[in-house]
Amino acid sequence: MRVNGRTLAFAAVATAVAAFAASLAGQLAGGGTLDVEWAPTLGLRLDLAFDGLGAMYALIATGIGALVFAYGAAYLPRHLEHAKRPGGDARRFWPWMVLFMGSMVGLACARDLVLMFVFFDLTAVASYFLIGFDHDRREARGAALMALLVTGVTAVALLIGAVLLYAEYGTFSLPELFERAEPGTTTAIAAALIAFAAVTKSAQVPLHFWLPRAMEAPTPVSAYLHSAAMVAAGVLVLGRVHPLLALDDTVLDALVVVGLCSIVIGGALALAQDNLKQILAHSTISQYGYVVVLYGIGGEKGAAAAALYVIAHAIAKSALFMTAGAVTEATGETRLSHLGGLARELPVLAAASAVAAATLAALPLTIGFFKDELFFAAAAGHGAFTQAMAVVAAALTFAYIGRFWLGVFTGPRRTEAHAIPVLLVAPIALLAVLAVAGGIVVEPFAHLATDAATVTAGAAVEAHPAYHLDTRAENLMALGAWGLGALLLVWPRVWAGVVAAIARAGDVAGPRRLYGLSLRALYRLSDRLHGAEVGDLRNSLAAVLLPAGALIGIAFVATLPGGAYEFGAVDPEDLPVIVLLALSVAAGVRVLRDEGRLRPVLALSVLGFALAGVYAIVGAPDVALVAVVVETVVTLVFVGVYSRLPTTRRSQRRRRPRNVAAGVIAGVGAFIGIWAALSRQPVSEGDAAAHVELAPEAHGGDVVTVILADFRGFDTMVEITVLVVALAGVAHLLRGGRGW
Amino acid sequence: MILEFAAPRLLGPALMVAGAIIVKGYTDVGDGFSAGVIVALAVALRYVALGPDEAERTLPVLRHAGTLAICGLLVSLSVAFVPVAFGDPIFTHYPAPGASVVKIGTLELITAVLFDLGLFVLVAGSLIVLIHHLSHLVRDE
Repeated sequence: MRVNGRTLAFAAVATAVAAFAASLAGQLAGGGTLDVEWAPTLGLRLDLAFDGLGAMYALIATGIGALVFAYGAAYLPRHLEHAKRPGGDARRFWPWMVLFMGSMVGLACARDLVLMFVFFDLTAVASYFLIGFDHDRREARGAALMALLVTGVTAVALLIGAVLLYAEYGTFSLPELFERAEPGTTTAIAAALIAFAAVTKSAQVPLHFWLPRAMEAPTPVSAYLHSAAMVAAGVLVLGRVHPLLALDDTVLDALVVVGLCSIVIGGALALAQDNLKQILAHSTISQYGYVVVLYGIGGEKGAAAAALYVIAHAIAKSALFMTAGAVTEATGETRLSHLGGLARELPVLAAASAVAAATLAALPLTIGFFKDELFFAAAAGHGAFTQAMAVVAAALTFAYIGRFWLGVFTGPRRTEAHAIPVLLVAPIALLAVLAVAGGIVVEPFAHLATDAATVTAGAAVEAHPAYHLDTRAENLMALGAWGLGALLLVWPRVWAGVVAAIARAGDVAGPRRLYGLSLRALYRLSDRLHGAEVGDLRNSLAAVLLPAGALIGIAFVATLPGGAYEFGAVDPEDLPVIVLLALSVAAGVRVLRDEGRLRPVLALSVLGFALAGVYAIVGAPDVALVAVVVETVVTLVFVGVYSRLPTTRRSQRRRRPRNVAAGVIAGVGAFIGIWAALSRQPVSEGDAAAHVELAPEAHGGDVVTVILADFRGFDTMVEITVLVVALAGVAHLLRGGRGW
Repeated sequence: MILEFAAPRLLGPALMVAGAIIVKGYTDVGDGFSAGVIVALAVALRYVALGPDEAERTLPVLRHAGTLAICGLLVSLSVAFVPVAFGDPIFTHYPAPGASVVKIGTLELITAVLFDLGLFVLVAGSLIVLIHHLSHLVRDE
C-alpha cells in the first residue's frame, strides 16, 4: 500500500485545521477536564485540563501548525526534488509532524508531572526524526542526535524533580501539589530540576547550542518546532508549574539570570550570522530568554506578559522562518551576504515578512508592540538592572531583525529570484494579517493571555495592553530601544568586535565543545566496555557470575551472626531430592570433563531435567513444568547450533587460576543460596503468602497462573509485548525482514 | 524411521495436552506459556522429521503463525486495557473477586483465562515463526 505524499500532506493539514477548530470551540466553551486514574497504586493519572494555559498553547500548536503544514504541503515536494529523493519519503515526514502536534496539545493540557514527562519526551522523539529528515546528510543526523540527547537527557531532570515531589508530598498531580507544597529544600531542588529541563527545551544558555544545529531540519520543521512548538514546550512547563517555582526566590532569580544571558548571547550572535535560518535560530534563543525572564520576575504582571509574548513571538517567528524558506526556494541562496533587493520581485512576501519583522521588533500597529509593552512594564517593576537589560534586549532584537529584513529585501540585487507557489507565501501573509489585527484590536489575544496567566499565577490576572500617548516608562523604554537598535543597525563596527569575541569564546570553551568531548568520551568508554565483555566468553560469564557469587557471600557473612541464615537439617524424606541433586552434580561434572560436543550437551540437559524433578518434589509443579519444556527447547537449540558450527581443534586445556577462582566463588555462592532456599519453611507471610491467600478469591486454584494473569498481569503484559518486538527483530536479522 | 512415523502423529496428542493445560490452567498446574511451548515443540518435531518444506506443505496452516502471534498479543492487551473504558484500572478482571463464575468443567469463564489464552496463542505463534525462520536459514545456506 503506497500512500501518496500529497494525500498525506492534505490529511495532515486537515487534522491540524480540525484540531484548531476543536481547540477554538473548547476555548469558547470554557474548557473542560479529563481525569482517568490509569495506575492508581503508582499515583499515575491521565489528568488533562483544557484550561486557560492549555487552551492558549493548544491554539498556538494547532493554529500555527495548520499554517505551517499548508506551507509544508508546497515546500516538501520541492525539497525532496532538490535532494533527488522519491516523493514517497513524505511518509517519513507528515506522521511525525502530526504526532508532534498531538504531543504538544497533550503537554499543554497535562496536569500530572509524569504525564507531562511522557509528552515532553514524545516531542523530543518526534523532533529527532524531523530534524534528521534528510538522513543521508551527516550534519542532519548529528543535529538530530544532539537535539535528542540534550533535550532528552535533561528531561530526566523533570522526572527526578517529579519523583522528589512525590516522595515529599505523595502525589504527581499538579493541583494537589500546589495545595500541599511548602517552601523547603526538597521543593526548591525539585523546582530547580524541573526548571532546568524546561529552559533546556527552550534552548536557553548554557544548553542553547542544540537549536542552531537543528537548523539542518527542513524549513517547515524549523518554522513549527523552533518557533512555536518544541522550544515553546519549555516555557509551557514553566508556566504550568510556576506556583512551585514561586515558592523559592532563588529559583526565580536563576530564571532571570538564565533568561538575560540567553537574550544577550542569542541576540548578539544573531547579529553576526550570515545564514538566514541561523539568524532566526539565535533570535529564538534570545526571544525565549524574554519569556524565561518574565517567568522569573513572576507575579501577575510577569505571567501575563510571558503568555502574550509567547503568542506574539509564535506568530512572528514562524512567519519569518517560512520567509527564509520561501526566499531560499526563490533564489537557491541561504546567505544574507548573497541576497538583496528582493522586494521588487517578491512584493507580497516582502510586505508580509516586513510585518512579521516589525512584530518581532515591537513596532506599533502590530501585536508585537504589546508584548514589549507588558515586558517593559514587568521589567520596570523588577529593578533598575532588569529595566536596563530589557532596553538592551529590545535594541538587539530591533537590530538583528532589521538587518535580516533589510538585507534580504532592500539594497542592490545579488541573486536572481524565480516565481514561487502561492502556498509558500499565503501562510506568511495570513500570519501578517493576524499580527496587524492583534496590533489594532488586542483584546482577544490579551484575553487568551490573561486566561493562561491566571493558571500560571494561581489567581485571577488582569492585563490591559493599549496604546498610551504619554511619557510612561514603557513608552520611553520602547523609544530608547528603537533608538539604540537603529544605532546598532547603522554602525556595525560598534558591535562587530564584541560579537566576534563572544562567538570565539563560545567556540573555545563553550558548552557545545563540552558536549562534543563528553560524547566522544562516552563512545570510548562504551567501546572499551564492549571490547572487554565480548572479547572473551569467559569475561562475559564472569561478569555475571562473579558479582552474584560475591554478593551472596557478603550477604551470608553479614546475616550469619544474627541467625537469619537457616541451616536446615537433612531428613530421610529428603532422599529423592538428594538423589536428583546428586544426579545433577554428576551431570555437571561430566559437562566439564567430557570431550566432543554432543555429550556435554546431553549431560547439561540431564542436569536440567534433574533440577526440574527437584522442583516437582519440593512443591513447585508449575516451575517444574516450565523447566521441562524450556529444557527441551534449550537442548534442541544446543544440538542444532552445534551441528552447524565448524569443527575446530579443541582448545588446549589450560586451567587458568583466574577462571578457577571465578568458578569457585560463583559455585560457593550458588550453594549457599540454594541451601538457604531449601532450608526455608513454607512461606507464611509477605507478598507470596498474600498471593496464595488471595488466589481463591480471584477464582484461581493455581496461584502461579493467577499471579501471571492477574496479580502481576501488568508485568506479563510488558513481557509478552517485548517478546513480539524481539521476534520481529530476530526475524529481521535472520532473513532480512521476510514475514514468512 | 521411528521419528518419521511418530512426528506427524504426535501433533494431535500434543495439541490435546496443550488444550488440557490451558483449560485447567487457572485451577491446576500449568499456564498459557507451557501450553504454547508444547505446541511449538510438536511442530518443531515435524520440522526435524520431515524437513521444513514438507512440514509446511502438509500443514499449510502454519504460515499464519505470525498473524496468530499478533492476534494473541492483541487479545491479551485488550483484556488489559478494556477495563479503562469502563472506568476501572487496567487489569481489572471480570467477574469481580467473590462474584459467581460460570464453569464448564474446570474451565472458568473469566477474563483472566482469556488473557492466558492470548498468551498461549502468542507464545505458540512466535516460536513457530522462529522455527520457520531458523529452519529456512539453515536450508538456504
